[in-house]
Amino acid sequence: MAENTKIYLQPTPVRIWHWLNAFGIVTLTVSGAQIRFPEYISLLGSYKSAIYLHNTAGFVVAISFTLWFFYYVFIARSMANLYVPKVEDLKTGLLRQAKFYFLTYFLGWENPHHPTPRNKFNPMQKSAYLAIMFVLMPLVSLTGIFMTNVEPLRGVIVMMGGMKILMSVHFLLACCLIAFLPTHVYLTTLGHTPMEHIKTMWTGWEENGNDVPDHKENGTVPSH
Amino acid sequence: MNHSYDSKLLFAAFLGALLLVPCALAAMDSDYCLMCHGDADMVNAELLIVPTTFDTTAHAVLGCVVCHDTIGDDHPSGVSELSRATCLDCHDTLGQEYLMTDHANYAICGDCHNPHEARAMKAMAGYDMNDKCIRCHDSQTMVDVHKVWLPQADLHIAKLPCITCHTGSEGYEIVLNIVVRQDDRFFSRFELPEYQILKEISGDAGILSLIDTNGDNFIALTELRRFNRNPAYRNLRLEGTLVPSDVSHDLKTLDNRYDCTFCHISGPKSLQTSFLAIPNRDGGYQRVTVEQGAVLDALYGTPDFYMVGTTRSASMNILGLLIISAGLVMPIGHGLLRFLTRKNRQH
Repeated sequence: MAENTKIYLQPTPVRIWHWLNAFGIVTLTVSGAQIRFPEYISLLGSYKSAIYLHNTAGFVVAISFTLWFFYYVFIARSMANLYVPKVEDLKTGLLRQAKFYFLTYFLGWENPHHPTPRNKFNPMQKSAYLAIMFVLMPLVSLTGIFMTNVEPLRGVIVMMGGMKILMSVHFLLACCLIAFLPTHVYLTTLGHTPMEHIKTMWTGWEENGNDVPDHKENGTVPSH
Repeated sequence: MNHSYDSKLLFAAFLGALLLVPCALAAMDSDYCLMCHGDADMVNAELLIVPTTFDTTAHAVLGCVVCHDTIGDDHPSGVSELSRATCLDCHDTLGQEYLMTDHANYAICGDCHNPHEARAMKAMAGYDMNDKCIRCHDSQTMVDVHKVWLPQADLHIAKLPCITCHTGSEGYEIVLNIVVRQDDRFFSRFELPEYQILKEISGDAGILSLIDTNGDNFIALTELRRFNRNPAYRNLRLEGTLVPSDVSHDLKTLDNRYDCTFCHISGPKSLQTSFLAIPNRDGGYQRVTVEQGAVLDALYGTPDFYMVGTTRSASMNILGLLIISAGLVMPIGHGLLRFLTRKNRQH
């Protein structure tokens, strides 16, 4: 039966983390571009300003990431449940979700996944976020920390192959994260209205008009 | 006709010089002086001159008596006060430049440059250029002074000669050095080795042969890569530093040195020129030309020489652009199909 309900999908700590992270990553992208291409980009003023801003934003995002990690692991205790794909997700879920995004969505079918606080991400999201949050983010932060402490950590850097290897890894990982941004923003517009998911990340509440309730949850009606 | 006149003039000057310098001294060369002054058992430490070091200086070519011209054939029992030419007798331009600086109030030429040890800039590794500065300017103090405005001040102070920024020289070049792992520890530091250490590693073929495998006295990018990838040389690495291409003693800091992009900027003409400094037996260095642009190579050319904004690699840029472009496939491709099929979702 169709209902109009709201679901509290994104708790306050998660929303604060998300927007801090979003602002930080955009800042890192722009300042990083200026640091790499100073003769073409000077949006942030002097080169030194870009470096200081990049370093500061990097540390903020790294600390924010750490807080996020501890929040989900020790406070919410839902890290594994939310982010690690289950066997069923890998067997059938991935294919079903991919079929929706690349075929049945265009035919006007409903999203097979209905997010709830305990199951926010569809199998494709889980896989993508697993790679981003557990591989890309830690590595890009770690390489960044190494690059801001070259002199004291030189022995380790040499062991890793040298500054150029470290810098190349940092740059390519950052490119992967940047590449995810347009996809991420675009997918947020696939709700019932283009702004639906974006509003959810701002207010915490996801409005839903007529979706099928998730039988695992207590009377909440999720959307995409 | 003019040529004949010049020859006569030169000959007259030579005769004049012979008259001015005692005949016994005319025959005296540096080796004769160093028989005593090069022997620690014969003279005290103040008068000791290390022959192998002195021989590598430009002053050795002149010989001792050019500067110490009052010495008589009764030396050392004769005149005890030895005459000394002043540095400005020859280095007038540099000297006048230096005398205009604040440094001249605290140090004269000899306080920094021992004339019996002074080498030309091209006979130095780069890092050793700071030996003179740290006599007065302690490294940690300099890090503290610079970090007020300079990002990664400790790295800059450790890796650059002071004169790279604190002279009026406009041009720079990169000098690469072979550094050696200090011990077997996992995170052991790499330091600039002495000649003998590299000589033992390279054997009879010579130190240059470690990198210049074809022996053409020129370092190609392929040779740099081969050296860096060679597992036999895992205890050796290349480090680079930036040195001024012109000698200047004005010791001023040009305003553009405070602009990071003065060094940290890339371009077709930026930092293409580099040399490999190979240590000589005498403690000096010999510079060998490296292929243009080799330091810009992505990974294996000079893996430990990286300057943000400058040594970025074009191939990495292309790879990065491809990755970012791949991120646009979903919004553009899916978005287009979404627009074309929008009627299907109007329910």
